[in-house]
Amino acid sequence: MNRLPLFLRMAANAGASLVLAFLVLPILAVVPASFNKASFIYLPPRAWSDIWYERFLADPEWRSSLFNSVEVATLATVIAVVIGTLAAIGLRRIDGRLRTLVTGLFLAPMIVPVIVTAVALYRSALDVGLSGTILGMSLGHALLALPFVVINVGIALRAVDGNWLKAAAGLGAGPWTIFRTVTLPNIVPGIVGGAIFSFITSFDEVIVAVFMAGYSSKTLPVKIWESIRLEFTPVIAVAATVMIALAIVLFALAQIASSKAGGHTR
Amino acid sequence: MSRRHLETACLLGPALVVLALLFVVPLARLFSLAFTDPTGPFATFGILAESAVYRQVMWNTFVVAVVVTALCALLAWPVAYVLSRLKGVWFAVALYGVLFPFWISVLVRTFAWMMLLERNGPINRLLMSTGLTDEPLALLFNNVGVLIGMIHILLPYMILPLYGAMIRIDRRLLLASDGLGAGLLDTFRRIYFPLCLPGLAGGATFVFLLSLGFFITPALLGGSNAITLSMLIASFVNDRLAWSLAAAGSMALLAIVLVLMALTARLLPMEKGFFAR
Repeated sequence: MNRLPLFLRMAANAGASLVLAFLVLPILAVVPASFNKASFIYLPPRAWSDIWYERFLADPEWRSSLFNSVEVATLATVIAVVIGTLAAIGLRRIDGRLRTLVTGLFLAPMIVPVIVTAVALYRSALDVGLSGTILGMSLGHALLALPFVVINVGIALRAVDGNWLKAAAGLGAGPWTIFRTVTLPNIVPGIVGGAIFSFITSFDEVIVAVFMAGYSSKTLPVKIWESIRLEFTPVIAVAATVMIALAIVLFALAQIASSKAGGHTR
Repeated sequence: MSRRHLETACLLGPALVVLALLFVVPLARLFSLAFTDPTGPFATFGILAESAVYRQVMWNTFVVAVVVTALCALLAWPVAYVLSRLKGVWFAVALYGVLFPFWISVLVRTFAWMMLLERNGPINRLLMSTGLTDEPLALLFNNVGVLIGMIHILLPYMILPLYGAMIRIDRRLLLASDGLGAGLLDTFRRIYFPLCLPGLAGGATFVFLLSLGFFITPALLGGSNAITLSMLIASFVNDRLAWSLAAAGSMALLAIVLVLMALTARLLPMEKGFFAR
């Protein structure tokens, strides 16, 4: 068991390689599909072209959906990061059952199935006139992103030694000075990580967006969702490739932020 | 209220207000609609429970979740094991292979599977060119497509906890078992497997609960031939404007998820480190 016989080790390696290929390769198939010259999706493409990228950029609906996505994700990120960071700091100042209860409440949007949250949000948005607006979608996405900010900043806060705060207070610093000079510099990596997670959560989110989007406020995933059902063209592969590229860049940034956070704690 | 309490309230306040307005109140408002059916306060639940169509939908949701969980457990096993033994560059390569899909939107991944599983898609052409089948298989718009797509999305949730359990196993226990004369199968059955069990159970819980609420993947890969509870809720809202039924379905889904979570939290101590403190 400590060292499996050769044939079992080979079987394990082969099995693992196959499963890893199953996980990674299908996603990468999107990229060649976006460079297909044909007017329909065909894999692997027989002739290559960037014509569908031109179509994507020239089409006002696709373009505006991309801008809407950036706008919604930015707004959602700002809301989630501000209230989530304050909440994570506040959580450290309460104890016992109250903390368990409030933490549970902050993490609840992760546990409730998104379809339930989406339908509930849609109904209330209809009542107050936020349905079909950028603000409505941003608020919904901020709700889904909030747990990631609370978790990320909470982890970063663990590295802030309570004695530093006492020392600063003993040296005569007020609460705001302590926050600005001791707490904040130490939790910046957590905040940045939370912000990146929030942005990608919002940018990738479909279910809330599908319910909340109006005709002129579609996000990129909503436009992809609708296009898949109407016409299955290579433009969708272009939009999907754009989403993959953005996700890779953002997660590379998140990795850098979290490695910086690790550097501070240890 | 002391100054310190006031500060704490100001820190937690904004998030609590946002949660109340965007989450607690909308959910309560939605659930209250479940009791507004003209034929009686609990009529919606009766309709959901008695209709053969809706029962079929719930059964299908449950079966898909069970099969996805079982297949994920099976497929996760070699990957988690190899991850727990690898070091250096190969470990990084394998780990990123597991983490990479996490970064990519569920919608994009589902779209990728639609391209691959199409009637004239690459997988069907490969199957035909190798002579495994004579005509294209129906891989899309049925439960086959749903299973493939959902396993692809949920598998990392199974691999990571299983790997976490395997990496914590003390290798000396296995050596001791060997030294005491136990065969490979015995050591696996009596030492290795029981020690992997917490990770396996944790991963299975995640996967099962997430698959119950899945919407995008079954809606696109399964279509009208493989309806799940979440698709039913969406169609109540969008196609039939039957808010009371949508509310009752949402309540049922949430209740199932919460009960299962409470049960598993009692059975296995979830990672405490998961919660920010």
